[in-house]
Amino acid sequence: MSSSEKNNLTPSCEFQDNLEILRQTYFFSGLPLETLKIFAYLCTREIFRQGEHIFRQDEDDGRAFYIIDGRARLERDDDGKKIEIRDYQTGEFLGGLTLLGETRRLFSLKSVTDTTCLVLNRGKFLKTMEQFPNLLARICNAVAKSIDTWEDRFLSDRGDQCGDCMGRLGVTLI
Amino acid sequence: MSKAKITIVKRSLFSWIFAGNLKLQLLLLLIIVVMVTTRVLPLEMQKRIINEAINLRNIDKLLLYSGFYLAAVFFSSVLKYLTNIIETLITQRTTARMRKDLYHHILTLPLNFFRKTQPGTVVNALGSELTLPGNFVGMAVASPVTNILTLLAFAGYLFWLNPLLAAVSLSIYPIVVFLVPLLQKGVNKYNKKRVDAARKFSAKIAESISGIHEIHGNGAYRIENRKYDALVDQLLKIRILWSLYRFAVKTSNGFFTSLGPFLVFLLGGYLAIKGRLELGALVAFLSAQEKLFDPWKELIEFYQVYQDGRVNYDKTMRYFDIEPEHEIEPKGRAPLQLEGSVEVKDLSFTTDTGIHLLDGINVSLNPGEHLALVGFSGSGKSTLALCIGQLYKYTGGNIMIGDHEVSELTKKDMINNIGFVAQSPFIFEGTIEENILYSTMAQIDDNGQGKNGKMPTLDDIIAVLHQTGIFADILRFGLNAILTHDQNEELVKMIIRVRKNFQQDFGQELADYVEFFDENKYLYYSSVSENLIFGAADKDEFSDTNLARNEYFLNFLNTADLTTPLLSLGANLCRQTVDILGNLPPDTVFFEQSPIDADELEEYKILVDHLSKKKLHEMPAEYRQKLLELALRFTPGVHKMVALPELLETLILEGRALFREKITKDDPEAITFVERSKYIYSQTILNNIFFGKTKSTSPQAQERIDQSIIQLLIEEDLLETIIEIGMHYQVGTKGDKLSGGQQQKLAIARIFLKAPRILIMDEATSALDNKSQARIQNLLETRWKKRNTVISVVHRLDTIKNFDKVAVMKAGKILETGTYNELMARKGMLYELVGKK
Repeated sequence: MSSSEKNNLTPSCEFQDNLEILRQTYFFSGLPLETLKIFAYLCTREIFRQGEHIFRQDEDDGRAFYIIDGRARLERDDDGKKIEIRDYQTGEFLGGLTLLGETRRLFSLKSVTDTTCLVLNRGKFLKTMEQFPNLLARICNAVAKSIDTWEDRFLSDRGDQCGDCMGRLGVTLI
Repeated sequence: MSKAKITIVKRSLFSWIFAGNLKLQLLLLLIIVVMVTTRVLPLEMQKRIINEAINLRNIDKLLLYSGFYLAAVFFSSVLKYLTNIIETLITQRTTARMRKDLYHHILTLPLNFFRKTQPGTVVNALGSELTLPGNFVGMAVASPVTNILTLLAFAGYLFWLNPLLAAVSLSIYPIVVFLVPLLQKGVNKYNKKRVDAARKFSAKIAESISGIHEIHGNGAYRIENRKYDALVDQLLKIRILWSLYRFAVKTSNGFFTSLGPFLVFLLGGYLAIKGRLELGALVAFLSAQEKLFDPWKELIEFYQVYQDGRVNYDKTMRYFDIEPEHEIEPKGRAPLQLEGSVEVKDLSFTTDTGIHLLDGINVSLNPGEHLALVGFSGSGKSTLALCIGQLYKYTGGNIMIGDHEVSELTKKDMINNIGFVAQSPFIFEGTIEENILYSTMAQIDDNGQGKNGKMPTLDDIIAVLHQTGIFADILRFGLNAILTHDQNEELVKMIIRVRKNFQQDFGQELADYVEFFDENKYLYYSSVSENLIFGAADKDEFSDTNLARNEYFLNFLNTADLTTPLLSLGANLCRQTVDILGNLPPDTVFFEQSPIDADELEEYKILVDHLSKKKLHEMPAEYRQKLLELALRFTPGVHKMVALPELLETLILEGRALFREKITKDDPEAITFVERSKYIYSQTILNNIFFGKTKSTSPQAQERIDQSIIQLLIEEDLLETIIEIGMHYQVGTKGDKLSGGQQQKLAIARIFLKAPRILIMDEATSALDNKSQARIQNLLETRWKKRNTVISVVHRLDTIKNFDKVAVMKAGKILETGTYNELMARKGMLYELVGKK
């Protein structure tokens, strides 16, 4: 949902704000300004009311989110058993992988408070990347690095508590 | 389709001359005989005027013969005009019939033919290549008969005047008769080459246009230019040589026939000097001899049209001389009602080049059973579905539907019993309704078979819209329709009533998603012009497109101190939009949030260039007008590249009141202001119900709005009316105004409406969201099972659990068949596929 009701109070426009956000997001930060401007223009702002689903498990909504304001809870339904995983806060980005190709959500994300998100969908992302095929490598690089960092941190923080799961480690080796 | 239509490619060009044109051609013959007589008469009058009137100084005879002369010329001209009209009628009617019959034939040709043929070739054949054959048919009787009769009449008259002179002057024509066909051979040779080259040329253009994405993607402009230029050069050479030969025919004909007067002067002059020929006779002779030239020239031209037309006709018909793979309709029996069982035995399908796409396929289905075909892409599952649907002609083995072999059934038998939903369904230009009724119409067309020959009712259609999940989409199209003043008076009244109830029931709930019209507030989801005018223009000069040119409105902007800030906003918008979108292709994805349309981008790029060099007030008037147009379109909630300055917002709000006051006084008929009790004709039905505009197009907002609005429309008994309006939504060329998912739902809906005994779906739900996919799967399992047989090529393995049979294919063979549970327990190919997914 637009925040343009406030635009007469703020000196900058939504496009400029979006651009700032994207420049600070790992997924986009490697892209040149020309491309970032297009993404900043194509992004939309949406408000999810408290308790509303941002995405649902098993669905392929094809959207990536940056939480501008609010809080959202990640949950997983395991054969009827609901597990709360973690909360996403203002300033966090999620869903980059889903922009790259069809993936069904393994989790649901639900807003805990009214949450404003910056949203980009796969259609817009891929259409834009078609114009800059050389830049896809930079995105892949950012994603690969992020996965690597995640597993590295996981191993150093929690590796010793893994127990039976040890055999399933190695997501960086896919 | 009649027999004559099927064999159009076997018809000779001559067969068109009298077929369907007999009466016209006979009438033409009659007119020609009278016309030729009237042509000879002036010659005789010419002679008599000189010999009997002038020489004998007889005024009465002069007037009498001149009168006859005038009448003959006038009558002859009228008749000539009549023959031209009849010739044109015959030409155009024949060309139209050729085009229709050939098109009807082409549509029945095997799919295989179209894989090798570019659309451009077909367009060219049906268009330009049939023009000359049509011209020939129009001229076929009139031209030779008129010109030969005229020639004979003039020649006879010449012999009557002076046999010696006549024999000498006509001696030239045998030379021409010998020479012209020789040269014409050259014309024909190059015309044949021209037809081939033109075909390649059209095919190349069609290929480039359909492959434009690939050309842009690879930047392969030069490669494609080279290919195209080479074809143009080839066509150029052929056309030059063709024209050279054509002109050679004309010139040699002209040269030899011009020699005629020379011989007459020489010999006739000698005879006249010697007193053996009257001067009047010599004048009449020269005049008649000169008149020989026109019919002769026309005969030669006719000969050329015949030769060119024949070449074009033969080449075109030979190109399409292919038999349809299956009879279109049964002869001597009604179309069959087939049983729902399908049995495939030892089926093979080998391409012309010897590739085995299917090999030794065996699978059987009882009536009402559902089969899922799974496997990697390229495994042959779609090919098998296409063979069962008779879209491919299998090369070995059998496919039995009931106790009938598919290859022996007619198309009509198949369409009466089978429905096919393709992977990339084709949506035709027209309305949603036309597309939804497409399959049913095709089935009941001509012979009234199927569904008792009746069209489905609106209730039938609405049921199918619900089943396929396209209901909400069509409702939206209906709600987004803009009504005109002269229609739906009742509906307009109802919407105004609904508006009140909407505010009461849902106003609060939807406040997040809707910006309500409020005279005292700036509307961020309406354009600057809408904010200023705050109403619908009843006069054209106040419409959005004309506003920036409207003197009255421009004066008002000046009075309200709005001109400069708006120009500055326009300039800012222009710079920002061009900066972001300047190098992007004209795709809706990029331009739906832009105030500049894709086709205006180049114009605004030039404007940006000027903006960098000149100050706003120095800009030429036409550029200022463009900037003002842009500013008036600016809708802050949609066009996010710039912000609306606070000062401008205040000025516009003040301007709104000022404009209302001013226009109410100066031109009260110009605008209908936005008021709760009035319908706003410039806005959609939805905006009228809302008395506002939707703020967000996000899926969850859409869903919320849909839920509330459907509930409201049901309560008000308006749902069907809005759906009917939505059904008239124009889907655009190839359905390009619909999303991929909407296109697929529409394709499924048109087959569901037909409710065939056997349904074949080739990855028919691949573009659908989970909910829609599940809805359709659920429907097939609950409503279709045990009643209608279903063969489904499946791409998502989580949907196949409840199929009666699953056949796993690899490299054109079925590796295993069984229920889902059986195959999973066997831990074979399906198990592996599911695991991989």
